[in-house]
Amino acid sequence: MPYEYLDHEADIGLEATGASLEEALRDGVRGLLALLVDPETVEPRQAAPVQATASDPGSLFVALLNAVLAAVDLHGMFFRDFELTHLEQVDDHWVVEGTLWGEPIDLNRHAVEIEVKAATYGGLLAEENEAGWRLRCVLDL
Amino acid sequence: MNRALHVRKIHEYLFEIPPHGKMRVPARLYLDERSLRELMENQSSEEWNALKQLENVACLPEIVKAAMAMADVHPGYGFPIGGAAAFDPEDGGVISVAGVGFDINCGVRCLRTHLTRRDLTGKEEKLADTMFEVIPAGLGSTGELKLSTKEIDRVLREGARYAVRLGYGREDDLEYIEEHGCLSDADPSVVSHTAKQRQMAQVGTLGSGNHYVEVQVVDQIYNTRAAKAFGLELGQIVIMLHTGSRALGHQIGTDYLPFLEKATRKYGIEVPDRELVCAPIESPEGQQYFRAVMAGANCAFANRQVLAHLVRQAFWKALRVPDTAIETLYEVAHNTVKWEVHEVNGERRRLLVHRKGSTRAFGPGRPELPERYRAVGQPVLVGGTMGTASYILVGTEQGMRETFGTALHGAGRAKSRRQAKRQYPAERIIEELRKQGIIVRAHGKASVSEEAPGAYKDVEHVVEVMCNAGIVARVARLRPIVCLKG
Repeated sequence: MPYEYLDHEADIGLEATGASLEEALRDGVRGLLALLVDPETVEPRQAAPVQATASDPGSLFVALLNAVLAAVDLHGMFFRDFELTHLEQVDDHWVVEGTLWGEPIDLNRHAVEIEVKAATYGGLLAEENEAGWRLRCVLDL
Repeated sequence: MNRALHVRKIHEYLFEIPPHGKMRVPARLYLDERSLRELMENQSSEEWNALKQLENVACLPEIVKAAMAMADVHPGYGFPIGGAAAFDPEDGGVISVAGVGFDINCGVRCLRTHLTRRDLTGKEEKLADTMFEVIPAGLGSTGELKLSTKEIDRVLREGARYAVRLGYGREDDLEYIEEHGCLSDADPSVVSHTAKQRQMAQVGTLGSGNHYVEVQVVDQIYNTRAAKAFGLELGQIVIMLHTGSRALGHQIGTDYLPFLEKATRKYGIEVPDRELVCAPIESPEGQQYFRAVMAGANCAFANRQVLAHLVRQAFWKALRVPDTAIETLYEVAHNTVKWEVHEVNGERRRLLVHRKGSTRAFGPGRPELPERYRAVGQPVLVGGTMGTASYILVGTEQGMRETFGTALHGAGRAKSRRQAKRQYPAERIIEELRKQGIIVRAHGKASVSEEAPGAYKDVEHVVEVMCNAGIVARVARLRPIVCLKG
């Protein structure tokens, strides 16, 4: 499973795995997008850039998810997919860049699920293992 | 670990985990044996276990008296939901993002009306449809008020007052909002441009998840003196509105999490959970975060003020009820951090009180209360679920002594959202509630199934525990009639 939702009484846990950190980050974003709105109802017609910086892979995961949530409001768009275009460790911080694909919000067509308030450091995990990377955090709903 | 070995019973409705490991104070839980057992058994993960989270809070610098949990306690992130903690600014007491949450100043407004249940008979569907049309709710909805960033700065500085100035609601609403709907320590200059931009179209929107507007009827009065002071009678229609600071508050939390993490390192604070990052209140970082939170809080006050106005509009549109027939009973938040003076060991101290999913519940005589309620105590608004009762309680002297005047905020979740989604399909829940005479309108299916009454603890039971513990007292019970969800 590239991403998985974990039981949490009030909120929800999001866990993403991938052969590389890039893959895990990308699939984590896809997991977040699928929580907000049914991706099948969103056409990938327009691109929106997204960027995040943090001190380590765990907080980078949280910063990226939060940048995606901000992009929904800033662009007034829902997104179907995410492509990670750049990941780099520079000195003491990490930078990730990518492109979100979607279209302007149309509540008549888009099957809205639930609003995610933010990604948190709750239950935060970022570990490299034999299979690749595992990232996890609690999303505030 | 076997936590049961650590838990000590103080009385029927209060348990304590004495300090162990790095805990500086005990953890205290207002529960009965049954709910304590359920809490220990019903935990989906050790990573987000409410008891562990409460113990972690008890490890923070200069926490005063105890880390406390109300009867609706359940896991959150960092702090448990239903948690409260006070810190002494002297000697390095801290301010924490997790103690406030991302939905800064999320809270409840209660409006009382001049209507009785009979006035609504046969008109429930029409009212529900009009509310659905007039009140923007759900992910992706936008408010009718489109503000520039300059105007957003006024929202952040002036809170509900600015909304009234723009023509949303009335001056007399402000008297009955905690802090009169405006916190003067707010500083828009420490709130990011992204936060303000995200909010431009979201003032006057409800959101989704557990946020709602509910039309209810008073079906029990327990305390006639307090009910009279609150203007409540049997059969009366009241409206509860639950929402917070929307995207602006969420972005403030997001921006300040890494900011406070740096401060945590800078001041050498050891935190047992990364989400508990914090800064000494009196440090420049702590002060800056506090001023940002106050700005976020003002945004929530303004948001609820605009929504209260939209509720009045819906009642006028559907039933020709004039707005003067709908008055603010009270508004109080449950995700906050505030300066308050409390007596600790016979000494009056100025403390920074964090309430995460718990409500301020001041007893009689406090100067913060509106004059009309001061003799009886503060109205405490407890939201149930769409299928169960909500309560209006009142704060007590004992609550002031034991919990810094803090009580429960709702029923408290018992089942995870995923479990609820599997178990309660939205259509079935809406139909079942309709048979019970409760009309539900929702924008997102998830808001119905995840918020199904079965996903929550029994509100009657959690209220009973807090009342039996003496922290609050019952005033009135409210039954839902129409519920609007995001």
